Amino acid sequence: MSDKVYGAKCTSCGTVNYPARAVCRNCRSETFEPIEVGGEGKLLTYTDVYALAIDYETRYLRLAIVELDNGIRVTGQLLDDDPKLGKRVRSTIGVVRKPGEVSIMGLQFVPA
Amino acid sequence: MAYISELEASLRPPAMDMPPYPPKVITLASGEEMVVRQVERDEVPILLEVLYPLLWVERDFYDIVAARLFGELLAYKRYRVKDEYVLAGLIDGVLAGMVNGRLMDAKTGMSYHTLTVRRGLRVGSHLFAAKMEYHIEHCKQEEVLIVAESPIGFRRWMIEYPLEKRFEVQHELGGVPSWVLLKETYYNAKPRLVAGRRPAPEDLLRGAETIMLPDEETVVRQVVGEKEGRE
Amino acid sequence: MKPVYIAGAGMTKFGRSEWSLMELASNASLAALRHAGLGKIPVDSVVVANMGAARVNRQTALGSALVDQLALYPAMAEAVENGPASGASAFKVGCQAIASGMADVVLVTGVERMRVVNGLEGTDFVASLSQPEVEYIYGVTLPSLAGMFARLFMDRFGVERRHLAMIAIKNHENATKNPYAHIQLAVTMEGILTAPEAVVNNPPIATPLHMFDCCPVSDGAASIVLVSEEVVGKLGGPKVRVAGIGQATDTHAVHEREDPTDLKAVRIASEKAFSMAGLTPQDVDVAELHDAFTILEIAESEAAGFFGRGEAHKAIERGETKLDGKLPINPSGGLKAKGHPVGATGVAQLVELAWQLRGDADERQVKNAKIAYACNFGGFGNNVVATVLRREEK
Repeated sequence: MSDKVYGAKCTSCGTVNYPARAVCRNCRSETFEPIEVGGEGKLLTYTDVYALAIDYETRYLRLAIVELDNGIRVTGQLLDDDPKLGKRVRSTIGVVRKPGEVSIMGLQFVPA
Repeated sequence: MAYISELEASLRPPAMDMPPYPPKVITLASGEEMVVRQVERDEVPILLEVLYPLLWVERDFYDIVAARLFGELLAYKRYRVKDEYVLAGLIDGVLAGMVNGRLMDAKTGMSYHTLTVRRGLRVGSHLFAAKMEYHIEHCKQEEVLIVAESPIGFRRWMIEYPLEKRFEVQHELGGVPSWVLLKETYYNAKPRLVAGRRPAPEDLLRGAETIMLPDEETVVRQVVGEKEGRE
Repeated sequence: MKPVYIAGAGMTKFGRSEWSLMELASNASLAALRHAGLGKIPVDSVVVANMGAARVNRQTALGSALVDQLALYPAMAEAVENGPASGASAFKVGCQAIASGMADVVLVTGVERMRVVNGLEGTDFVASLSQPEVEYIYGVTLPSLAGMFARLFMDRFGVERRHLAMIAIKNHENATKNPYAHIQLAVTMEGILTAPEAVVNNPPIATPLHMFDCCPVSDGAASIVLVSEEVVGKLGGPKVRVAGIGQATDTHAVHEREDPTDLKAVRIASEKAFSMAGLTPQDVDVAELHDAFTILEIAESEAAGFFGRGEAHKAIERGETKLDGKLPINPSGGLKAKGHPVGATGVAQLVELAWQLRGDADERQVKNAKIAYACNFGGFGNNVVATVLRREEK
C-alpha cells in the first residue's frame, strides 16, 4: 500500500504529467521519471456530492480541485468544514475508496 | 359512539391516547399544494382501491408494500392493531401517497410503510418526514424503529437522516433487524428534511375533505414504464 | 466530400421502458425508416450508438444485432462508443460513409437501456468515463465534475442558482409539448427554489447543483436515416442537409484543462462545424444543447458562440432562449426534461432538429426554422461533437 501519490515528470522538458501518460503533453517525449505529487496549494473549486457511486456509504463526499504551489493541479477529497474558493490547503494521504476489502490511498486536503 | 358487543370489545386492543395529526400544506416542485392529513377509519376503503392494482406490480417492490399496507389498513379500520395511525398526502383532493405506523409504547414508535402514487415530486420524502414528525413532535416519542423493503427507501432514510443500527431489535415487518431514528437526529435533520406550513389554509383543507382516487392507468404507468413510440 | 441529407427521423418515448434494449432500437429505427419512405432502396450501413450495453445489459456487437432485428443483411454495421457523445459520433460516422461515396443510405440509431440497474450502479457506470487514477478513485462521478465546474463558473461570471432554475423551468415547460419527453411536469420557481419547501423538493446533488439541475436517468432510442444526394432526389419531402460537423477533444482529467471554466472542445468543435457549413452562430434559428446539468446549457451556448463569455445568463433572464424567443434552445425539453438515454441523446437532438426544419415539431415548432445547431458533450467536455443542419429549398 503506497503512501505517496506520483505524477510522471518528463525527462526531456521537466513537465509534470498528472495523470501519467505515454507521451508528454508538452514536448511529446516518451521517457519519464516518477515524482511525488502533493504539498500546499489553494482551493480552486469544490463540491459536496450526494449522488455517489458504489463503494461509498456516507451521505455525501466533499471533493475538490486544488492548484498546488508548484503549478500542478490535482483532484482529491476535501476534509475541511469551512471551504472557500482560494483557501490555502495542504495534502495528506488517506483511504479514498474501499471497493470490498481493498483500500485505495489517495490525496486528501486539510486547511493549511 | 356505536354500540359494540362485549365479544368485539375483547378482540380490540386497548387504545393509547394518540393526539390527532394537525394537517399541514406543502408546496411541491410543480407549484401544486399537497395537504398532509390524518386518515379516518371510514376512509380506508378508498385507500384499498388505490392499492389493489399495485398488488401485482413487482417494479420497485410495489407489490409487497401494497400488500402489506392493505392488511395494515384493514387492521386499522377494524381495530385489530394497537395504536396505528395513517397519514395521506392529497393534491387537489387526489391521493398522492400514504404512510402508516403505530406506537409501540409511549416512548417508541414503529414505522410501517410509505407508498407513493404520484412520482417525481418527492411525495414519499415529504410523507415519511411527516410521520417522523408525528411520532417525535406530536406523540412526544423518543425514537422510531424503521426498516426498508426497497433500496430506494434504504438510501433515502438510513443514509439521509441518518438512522442508527438497532439490530438487536426485530422489526414487526418480517422480523428483520431494525434501524432507529433518534429524537436528536430528527431535530438535527428537520431543517433539511421536514417541510410544510401550518395552519393549513381553510380552502385547501376543504378541498382535501374527501379523498379522490388517482387515475389507475396513470399510477401504474408511472411505476411500471412505457411502451410507446412514434415517427 | 459528397453532400449528406437526413431523409427520416424517429424515436421512442424516453423514460422507463418495458421494451428490451433491441426492441427500443428496432422501434426507433422502424419509425425513422417509415418516415424516410425508402421503398425498395436498400440500407447500405447501420451504425448503432451506445455507451453501456456491455456492462448494464450484458450485450455487445449491437450493430450486428440491429441488422438482424431489422433483417437488413448484408448491410455493413458497427457500434460507436463515445460516452455521452456516442450519438453524434455515430451520426458523424454515418455521414462519413455517405460523404466518401462508400454508402448511399445509412441508418444511425442511438439506444440506451440504463434503468435495468439501480441508481448507484448507473452512477458508477457513467463515472467510468472519468480518469481512473486521478479522478475515479476519489469517488468522482459526473455530477461531481459538473458541481465543481458550476461553482467556479458561477463565481467567475455572476451566475446565480435562479438562472439555473430558469433553464430547468423552460426545459420542463417545453417538454410538456413533447410527447416523447421523459418528464412531463412543469415546475415553478417557488417550488424548486424560493419556497421554504424547496429544500426538500430540490435537494442537493453536487453543490451548487441540485436535483432539478440534473437530467434524469432514462431508457430510449432515437434514429435517423442518412442518404446521398442521388437518393434524396428520389424521395419526397423537405431536404435537410447536414451542412457541417465538427469534433474536438481536450484533457481527460478536468483539473488539467487550460482554463477550468472554459469549454474549449465545444468552441473548437463548433468553429469547425460552422466553418464547414459556411455559416456563423448568428445564422442559427434553433439549437439543441447538452444540458445534462443546467449549468452546461449556459456554458455551451457561450462556447458555441451564441453569447459572449459571461453573457448567456443575462440572455436567459431576458427570455431570449425560450420557445418564442430570439434563439430557442432545447425546444425538445433538453436532456433535463426530455431525458438522457446516454447513447441515444446525440441522435435525439438531431431528430428534434430535423423535425423542426421540416415543420414537423407540432406545438414546439420554431417558426421558419432553416438553420439548426446541436452540441453533444462527451466525457465531461473532453470530447465534443457539434453539428449544423440546414433546410434546402428545392
